[in-house]
Amino acid sequence: HVVRKFLGLISSHNIPVYLIDPLILGLVDKDIEQIRSSPDGPSPECKYFCAPRDFTTFALLDKTWKHEVGLFRTAEKMGFQWLKIINKDPRLDGMDDLSGMEIPLHYIFKLASHAIHLVVFYERSGNYLWHGPLRLKQHMDRKFVPFRKLHFGRYPGAYEKPELLHVSIDDLKVQIPKNPSSFLEEMSHSRFLECRYREARAFFQLYPDDASLDAVEFRIKAKSLLHLAALTLNNLGVKFWLSSGTCLGWYRQCNVIPHSKDVDLGIFIRDYKAEIIPAFQKAGLPLKHKFGKVEDSLELSFQGEEDVKLDIFFFYEEEDHIWNGGTQAKSGKKFKYFFPKFTLCWTEFVELKVHVPCETLQYVEANYGPDWKVPVKVWDWKSSPSNVQDNGVWPVDEWDDVIQIY
Amino acid sequence: MEEWKPNPAVKPHKKRSWYLAWKYKLMNQRALRKLCQTGAVLFLLVTVIVNIKLILDTRRAAYEEEEESAQDYDDEMLNVEVPRHPVNNKKVLDVEVYSSRSKVYVAVDGTTVLEDEAREQGRGIHVIVLNQATGHVMAKRVFDTYSPHEDEAMVLFLNMVARGRILIFTIKDEGSFHLKDTAKSVLKSLGSQVAPFLSWRDMWTFVGKKGGEVYGEKHAKSPALSTWGDPVLLKTEVHLTSVEDAECHWPDTELNRRRKRFCSKVEGYGSVCSCKDPTPIEFNPDPLKDNKVFDVPVAVIAGNRPNYLYRMLRSLLSAQGVNPQMITVFIDGYYEEPMDVVELFGLSGIQHTPISIKNARVSQHYKASLTATFNLFPDAKFAVVLEEDLDISVDFFSFLSQSIHLLEEDESLYCISAWNDQGYEHTAEDPSLLYRVETMPGLGWVLRKSLYKDELEPKWPTPEKLWDWDMWMRMPEQRKGRECIIPDISRSYHFGIVGLNMNGYFHEAYFKKHKFNTVPNVQLKNVESLRKDAYETEIHRLLGEAEVLDHSKNPCEDSFVPDTEGKVYVMFIRMEQEADFTTWTQLAKCLHIWDLDVRGNHKGLWRLFRKKNHFLVVGVPASPYSSKKPSSVTPIYMEPPAKEEGAAAVPAVAAAEQT
Repeated sequence: HVVRKFLGLISSHNIPVYLIDPLILGLVDKDIEQIRSSPDGPSPECKYFCAPRDFTTFALLDKTWKHEVGLFRTAEKMGFQWLKIINKDPRLDGMDDLSGMEIPLHYIFKLASHAIHLVVFYERSGNYLWHGPLRLKQHMDRKFVPFRKLHFGRYPGAYEKPELLHVSIDDLKVQIPKNPSSFLEEMSHSRFLECRYREARAFFQLYPDDASLDAVEFRIKAKSLLHLAALTLNNLGVKFWLSSGTCLGWYRQCNVIPHSKDVDLGIFIRDYKAEIIPAFQKAGLPLKHKFGKVEDSLELSFQGEEDVKLDIFFFYEEEDHIWNGGTQAKSGKKFKYFFPKFTLCWTEFVELKVHVPCETLQYVEANYGPDWKVPVKVWDWKSSPSNVQDNGVWPVDEWDDVIQIY
Repeated sequence: MEEWKPNPAVKPHKKRSWYLAWKYKLMNQRALRKLCQTGAVLFLLVTVIVNIKLILDTRRAAYEEEEESAQDYDDEMLNVEVPRHPVNNKKVLDVEVYSSRSKVYVAVDGTTVLEDEAREQGRGIHVIVLNQATGHVMAKRVFDTYSPHEDEAMVLFLNMVARGRILIFTIKDEGSFHLKDTAKSVLKSLGSQVAPFLSWRDMWTFVGKKGGEVYGEKHAKSPALSTWGDPVLLKTEVHLTSVEDAECHWPDTELNRRRKRFCSKVEGYGSVCSCKDPTPIEFNPDPLKDNKVFDVPVAVIAGNRPNYLYRMLRSLLSAQGVNPQMITVFIDGYYEEPMDVVELFGLSGIQHTPISIKNARVSQHYKASLTATFNLFPDAKFAVVLEEDLDISVDFFSFLSQSIHLLEEDESLYCISAWNDQGYEHTAEDPSLLYRVETMPGLGWVLRKSLYKDELEPKWPTPEKLWDWDMWMRMPEQRKGRECIIPDISRSYHFGIVGLNMNGYFHEAYFKKHKFNTVPNVQLKNVESLRKDAYETEIHRLLGEAEVLDHSKNPCEDSFVPDTEGKVYVMFIRMEQEADFTTWTQLAKCLHIWDLDVRGNHKGLWRLFRKKNHFLVVGVPASPYSSKKPSSVTPIYMEPPAKEEGAAAVPAVAAAEQT
């Protein structure tokens, strides 16, 4: 009933919300065929909304809505209590010295014992939607609702723009994501990390950015290579993340490191697909070398525009660590790079929504040691990393297979 | 700070306790000084030979140091939350006003609200407006009434101030030379006894309520032409009224709440704060049918010229097809008043910490604004870029809606601009006509996101390069031979007369007579022919139909063009190679159009109107259109004046050199 009232309220103000409540979407997903086929059909009982719950969660796309004042007045007249959570606009956060207005991230409308949690989604550069974390300020009523039980807001999240579907469930007309199960899947690993803009600024105070033409041009090339790589891998459905120098650049300075000379990506070996090489070749990136094999130390390198190279390292998961391998072409020596276990988060980098290890600091420290904050121009991939170990030599009879240079 | 809400009523008390703290500090300082003195005397007794002068000097230095540290303390005090007292126990403001040759200041309840002792600036009459209920400073202006027309601006300003406000006047250096009778009588009507007799280098201070009592006036006559009057210091008290009396009673709507917030804070915006019949702040212009630019973000680039911004936003929000949700105002600096203006209109504003100085500061502000715009509207393919000193034509968005597809489809285009550099009252005629030009006019233009993101942003001049962003954008490395589309009659009007590269003279000479479209819903006529190849066909057609003018006549004379209407004429000037603008510049000069650098050309061709006839100028032999010249015609050559032109407008000349 609260939901009905709420939907009445928002439709009277022409606010296009959609349902993202994981519990209800889970139920809806089971009957999705039937619901899709009869968008207006009456339903016999209250099957989805009426289970006893504290909340129902809806989403609102920020750009589809603006005039809030009237909404709250009407809401109050209808008996709702409401709470608005605002914070800094992350779209301006990355920019030096801009201060915009704070933006609403979450709304909670409470009526009797039920509350509506309205999550505000923002479009961001990289063609994705973002919602903010839910953080209470000091003076706020911490007992307004049981905040800990909310499904959204523990972390910020990143999502694809969903396709929506008008449906009628429990005699209520609502919009839901067209494919609830894939939305729920997306939700389960939607956690988003903002770049550490403040630290990046401090870094540039200490080590002024390279503004030379070479640096500018390398960044342009690296950015377009990364965009192309992301497009190619996303089309294949292969999950990847920023690794090595590219990851360090994101974490330390929120930008491409101009003297890094290549773009580095990581992929779990379980996500490996044979189509990866042809797909890159088709995208105009010829294979430069291939070291190792799927079973051991696989590493691919593609030639981008001019001298910028795309390195893809495949990561192997073990019980208590993750590792990737390296190979020295002339000697056949093998190297192993150890990382503590990590999971993947979304972030935004050079106008792209990409993965990075959530535990970025550990990842970067494993790779670059405790002094990762200090820029180093001379870097030997065989000896400089803190996490490198010799790993023997490839048997000579395998060389043709595990050391391929083009 | 978290929950701080503007509460003007509290202000004076904040200041008062702040003042007490300051006073306390001063007393402390006195004690300190005494200690110093005693110490010095002892020192003297022990070491008799020490030079007295030296001690005095040392003491002065020490005193100055103390003063400085006291000031630091003051700055910190500003951030400290002061306990709030009830409003009623304070109804009187202490006001101090100082006028002298080299320094003016105004202190309200011990807080300095104006202090100007900078050399060679701030000359004239300083005016401060206080809220009669809160004592809050609502406006601060200086009118250089030593120079012409500034007194008119002052009268205009004073007339806009609401009745009941407290006005404070003080003269720095000289304020009477161009203070005409009208202005003097306005000052007299405010209660000043001295104003009608103010003369050369007099010092003067005055405090009064508009339409009410006088709180004090002091005056010091200048004894002789070569000297200034003695400094005067006026100390007086002003009785505050209740907040109720100081506010208008508009119906309680969302709009009026914004209005109320604005009007209780700032002054000098005239009828928007009128109690009886306030001018609207929401305009609801007609929507455009099939508006192709409804979702295009609009970035308004602003500095600290809130009155300009106010005028600009009014015209922008009145333009048909405007979408207020897409507008963001970017303010260069943490200025409050421009933000107040933005909030008055319910728009969003972003403040930007200034980076670098002068031109580079503007450049950095532009970069930050453009980047932020595309961050905030990641879906946008374009952005409209406006400045705070532009009027926007009623059909601005209609003009863009009809032409924007060209920018999307034609890669040889650099921008669409609302401004025709050569579109003066006497040289622009056809609101439906568009041109292609090799220059980038700016002043209201559309930027393609891909151009910005892929080309301009990564290479944008860094803060230490003191470049003008627009000059930089015009450089061949950036423009790469691409052109801009402009209208014959501009869709923006540049009204600013104070600015970085701007002054009254310069504005009068180059901007005042610019033509500005006021016709709504103009249907543009030749849009498709603006594409790269189609435009060449169009030019050849035009040149084919054009009548060759009599090249034996003086092209500067009016009689050079026959007294006809609606015909197409062509003239040929000498232009040895692509960059030879010798004759063009002289012609531009005598036609009284933009001559400070070359604007509005397309392959050695200029298009304008003279006497309502389309007037084409072709540079021979550099222009590919030279082949249209009959062999009998000798291209006109005009010699530049022998010696360099005087410094007509220094910044613009400097700018022109950069091109």
